[in-house]
Amino acid sequence: MTIVRFQGIRKSFGDKRVLDDLSFAVGRGEVYGLLGPNGCGKSTAINILCNLLDPDAGTVEIAGKPASHEIKRIVGICPQEIALYRDLNPVENLRFFSQLYGLTKTDREARVADLLSVFSLERYRSTAVSALSGGWQRRVNIAVALVHSPQILVLDEPTSAVDLEARHELWRLLETLKADGMTILLTTHHLDEAEQLCSRIGIMKNGRIAKEGTIPELLALVPAKAIAMVETSDTQATLERAAKLGWGIRHYAGKIGCLLPQQISLREVVHAFDAIDVSAISLQRVSLEHAYLEVIHDGGTG
Amino acid sequence: MARSMMVGQTVAVARRILTEYLRQRRSLIFWAAFPALMLLLFGLIYGNNPSMPGSLDTTPAGILIGAALFFSCLGGTVSLLVAERERRTLRRLLISPLHPAAYFLGIVLALSVIALVQTIIVYFLAYLMGSHYRGSVWLGAVIVALSVFSYVGLGFFFGTRFAKRAEDVNGPVAAFGVPLLVLAGTWFPVSLLPEFLLQVARFDPIFHMNESLKAVAGRGAGWGELAGSLMFLAVFSGVALAIGIASYRRMLVEEKRS
Repeated sequence: MTIVRFQGIRKSFGDKRVLDDLSFAVGRGEVYGLLGPNGCGKSTAINILCNLLDPDAGTVEIAGKPASHEIKRIVGICPQEIALYRDLNPVENLRFFSQLYGLTKTDREARVADLLSVFSLERYRSTAVSALSGGWQRRVNIAVALVHSPQILVLDEPTSAVDLEARHELWRLLETLKADGMTILLTTHHLDEAEQLCSRIGIMKNGRIAKEGTIPELLALVPAKAIAMVETSDTQATLERAAKLGWGIRHYAGKIGCLLPQQISLREVVHAFDAIDVSAISLQRVSLEHAYLEVIHDGGTG
Repeated sequence: MARSMMVGQTVAVARRILTEYLRQRRSLIFWAAFPALMLLLFGLIYGNNPSMPGSLDTTPAGILIGAALFFSCLGGTVSLLVAERERRTLRRLLISPLHPAAYFLGIVLALSVIALVQTIIVYFLAYLMGSHYRGSVWLGAVIVALSVFSYVGLGFFFGTRFAKRAEDVNGPVAAFGVPLLVLAGTWFPVSLLPEFLLQVARFDPIFHMNESLKAVAGRGAGWGELAGSLMFLAVFSGVALAIGIASYRRMLVEEKRS
């Protein structure tokens, strides 16, 4: 069952068209990742969903209703920045926002206790948010978005500016929410995060969804079973050798990526570049990053 | 929106602000120390000046309106709005069902509590210095309440239009607020104002706050005598509420665009 539907959304700021016929749908219980480079319109789409912006054309439906003021009770939004009262502790922040949503005292206290437990925040319940580390502040930031038990959780780059360990902790937390059946719309620049968490992904380009699908469907966009990354001072010879072997070529951040049509061993790849001045070769599985570059740059990064 | 929910939101906003103030003890100390020191200073000036008999009885009113409430309620409102922007919590409020009137009234309620404490401190110290309060306590309380309302409305106006960052807070308060204080005769009798300035001052809400509270405290003036000023302040409070809601909405529109 579809719970969020963007249909033909257009939005311009002055002469600049930011969203151009954006259409996608998120099913109930799905974790949908909205990916794309900076300026592709992700934040504008989120702002329209949250009723912060009106589209120039098109419709957004949430749970079958047009996005409006009332939708605020259905959607929980976690902004990219830590938007909390830093002199207050997590419990006080949760209580405050739950009061804005009109929860009764009994419901409020039960919800706060529930969120403290889910987010493992009990031991920091009396600690001012300003005294918490970035990762714990992120947890409170997400918990506040869930305080009114929304049907959909919108996460705008939930792990930006946190260290690797805290990011993995947050992933575990989001996996828990996913397992509980929460519908999540996630924007992120971390492709490994999207690959780990999302059941379906839409890649935005020029204000619309350029490609959409499950992770296996997107990985299938890359015409390879594996990718050999080659660092060489003799680019010409390397490219000629790869072409002779029938391997496709992509350029990934200055390295040559050879698209291997079947799984072969590293020894075979090394052997293939015999007599060429190659400084490093590695084998990589095809990842969402490769699929993303395939969509955004029609291949590698040049 | 159900009235009970709006009341709940108002109380939530007020409680949150007061809790934050309690955590930032330093600003509470300054808000108590500032009027106390001003009272001491002006008390020493007027108390030893035989040419201005009875001035000691009106001094606390001027200090309360012009020093204590001015900075806590007008400056405080500007600071609260700027902090909301800088912490990005404004955006979070924007995506919540918080009613603009509940936000405004929540700030009024929180600052009314601060104002009550400041009033007690100022009049307690004034009593120790030999000052007398001659009028109705209830009438004085109404004037203080209308003053808080008016200051918060002005604070919303200045805060949303002229203060985007913490560094901007003092600018509008000094540029617009202090001239209004001077025009209101906060630091000297309004009889010193030239006639044309006196006519202008009658449009200054702080003038009516000052003059009416001084009249109640110093002469025991009653409701009937102050009807004009009370009416002005009541109307201005209504305008302040409208300004507050409009300013909040404007601030939200700007936040949406940011």
